[in-house]
Amino acid sequence: MGFSRYLLRRLGYAVIVLFVIMTFNFAIFRLMPGDATKMIIDPMFTPEAIAELKRQFGLDDPPLVQYFKYVGNLFKFDLGLSFSTRRPVVNELKERLPNTAVLFLASFTLTTIIGISVGVYTASKRGTFGDNFVTGAGLFAFAVPSFWIQLLLLMLFGYYIPILPIHGTMSAPPPDGFLLQFLDRIHHLILPAGSNVIVAFGSWALYTRNTMLEALGQDYIVTARAKGLPENTVLRHHALRSVLPPIVTLIFGALPGMVSGAVITETIFSWHGVGKYLMDAVMQQDYPAAQGAFYLIALAVVICNLAADIVYGIVDPRIRVGEGGAK
Amino acid sequence: MSKSNTQTGISAPTFWEQYRRKPLGMVGLSIVAVYVFVAIFAPFLTPYNPKQILLADRIAAPIWFRSVLPKYDDAPSTVRITLGPDEWAVSEATGGKLVAEELEGTAVSVIEFEPVLKDEDVSEGEAGLLEIEEYPEEPEKSVVELSHVVSYNCSPPKTFGLTFNYWVDASSDSKTELEFVIETPEGKQYNLWGKSCSGTLGSQPARIDSRDLTLKQRLGLTIFDDPAPRVFSSKGDYRLLLTARSIPGEEPTRVYISNAEFYIPGNVHGLLGADHMGADLWTQLIYGTRISLSIGLSAAGISVAVGTAVGIICGYLGGVVDEFMMRVVDVLMAIPTLPILIILGAILGKSVWNIVLLISAFAWMGTARLVRSQTLSLRERVFVESAKASGASDAYVMLIHILPNVLPLVFAGMVLRIPAAILTEASLSFLGLGDPRVATWGRMLHNARGFGAFTTLAWWWLVPPGLAITFLSLAFVFIGNTVNEILNPRYRERS
Repeated sequence: MGFSRYLLRRLGYAVIVLFVIMTFNFAIFRLMPGDATKMIIDPMFTPEAIAELKRQFGLDDPPLVQYFKYVGNLFKFDLGLSFSTRRPVVNELKERLPNTAVLFLASFTLTTIIGISVGVYTASKRGTFGDNFVTGAGLFAFAVPSFWIQLLLLMLFGYYIPILPIHGTMSAPPPDGFLLQFLDRIHHLILPAGSNVIVAFGSWALYTRNTMLEALGQDYIVTARAKGLPENTVLRHHALRSVLPPIVTLIFGALPGMVSGAVITETIFSWHGVGKYLMDAVMQQDYPAAQGAFYLIALAVVICNLAADIVYGIVDPRIRVGEGGAK
Repeated sequence: MSKSNTQTGISAPTFWEQYRRKPLGMVGLSIVAVYVFVAIFAPFLTPYNPKQILLADRIAAPIWFRSVLPKYDDAPSTVRITLGPDEWAVSEATGGKLVAEELEGTAVSVIEFEPVLKDEDVSEGEAGLLEIEEYPEEPEKSVVELSHVVSYNCSPPKTFGLTFNYWVDASSDSKTELEFVIETPEGKQYNLWGKSCSGTLGSQPARIDSRDLTLKQRLGLTIFDDPAPRVFSSKGDYRLLLTARSIPGEEPTRVYISNAEFYIPGNVHGLLGADHMGADLWTQLIYGTRISLSIGLSAAGISVAVGTAVGIICGYLGGVVDEFMMRVVDVLMAIPTLPILIILGAILGKSVWNIVLLISAFAWMGTARLVRSQTLSLRERVFVESAKASGASDAYVMLIHILPNVLPLVFAGMVLRIPAAILTEASLSFLGLGDPRVATWGRMLHNARGFGAFTTLAWWWLVPPGLAITFLSLAFVFIGNTVNEILNPRYRERS
């Protein structure tokens, strides 16, 4: 009962966020200085041609009608035509979404696995080199511009020691055979995904370590140790189990940031994904395309947030009763 | 009165007493002090300004590479000489001379040729007619050769150039020839430019550029040959020769030559090298300090001020206002920050002020939540109750009783927000959404990526801006954590 109400509230809240983003998307297109149509309409066109173009892009209705049409179209996943390619934006996004998903999943999985294992490991070795390393890596992750690290890695492994491809998701004429193609894609994935991991794993490790240390100070750990259980068992079955909920929450909480960060990673490595599409569209003032890409990214973030809320509700029963903490 | 009411009240001297004992905090403070010093005194730390271009060849390496890397052993550094009347030496003069003249405040070299009929040859006859005593048999070519010695002691350069303006004032029956020649230490002469005219000639630019096709043809080279390494193939004293020849007419012939710029762009330049336009990277780096510090501080200040105000008002007043504002906070927090900043930045236009406002607009929510929860507990405290009971207005209570008590929390939060703002600004500038008129670290990285740092392996272009950002961010993190430790010991674990 309590949980389903909680879920419903979160769901309603996600819908509100989506509506705000939709409205924002609609508004920026209309409110920006200058005339968006200048991008597509040449003053040399005949009035009929201009009217036809405006009709194609849905710019001839009163604003309120435009808004409702726009929202209605969004529900049908109709994001309009791109100014620059004149193709439906949704088709272009469909081509790019798998690339973004692959990069995202690879970076995310590796970051969490490496970050959490390093964190758990160093928590058991307080005061050693590894421990200091994690503290350093956490600070580093906070202070260093991630795109700079990516640029340095790109220069090192793409140009100085050219062993990794410098752009794209696969070689231009793809190699023959499924296995070779697969390996080719992995080869292209190493630099973008690897750099994401290097940049991000420090903060995960630090957080895991701190949560672990907190847990290790608890009474039941002392009891477990006093019982004479092997240290490994204490770590794995007692400490890790109790720190899993906050870490799982953190995992889902970090998803939106990673989705956002895709814009920079994809731009640097010319990764043919949604983030780069957004960047290109903004640079070419292709507003329907930019809106579409932004809407997709925002949708992903909203879904991640919703997933985080659900997982949070599952792992932490207290949440079903009242509102959660500050974060 | 409010002092005794504050729970976390700590006086400035006590705070400093505690702060100075924290080594990390002091390290952070010293780093920030260095940055502030650099930002303030930037103009005194570099001879150039960030907009000056063509100071060296494109993507020149740092000058100290010469003493470190054998590859750059005697790489050419920039030679730039302005040749005015004082710099030119007259190495040959028949029938003419060099005169310095002032035109609109700048010195101009004037080569003056005597007229074919000299004044002393003409005398006034008795009838008031001019009588010419003697005609020269044949008009003689008068020559004035100006020279300037340049000592060049580096390996051959990739390009060189000379620019000046010239004009001729002469009678219509005169003929004038101009020629520019470089004489190598071995005595070999390269005739690089020539021009002849009759009579008067309006101001003309002379642009001698070693990459110019006509210049290559003139020297009998193919379009794939480079004149620069041939001309400056050895070390020693080169003579730049500007020769004027004239068959003068009845009036004196005057050849005006504005200050000439002789330029060999260097492959090495300055502390950190040069970018794709030949602008000094060290200058961009230290001027970037100004932008990053001001954007970081102002964005953090604005967002924390807004967050504090919203947090206190919501927490204290509660009710509909609170409910509404907290939903706004929720929604704003759910919007992906970087993508929306990219879109808004592109639409609102690229200016420093816009970037500050945009960063602030999406960074105040965290502070608002924190301050609100703190205010909620402060609201129930005895000192607030008693203030209200004695008739204090809401505004008074919020300003005098609540605000001072949330400030310690807010202050540490603000310091920690500065590096976040600096990083966001750098990301936006790197993506090409920064203010194009100012040099920023993000912009340097943007240029490095877009204009050939990778293909030329110019790591010296890529490394310094990132290091500058990292150290500044680290310094603020150190300071913020230290402040937190002192002011908000309960929150130590969080940061």
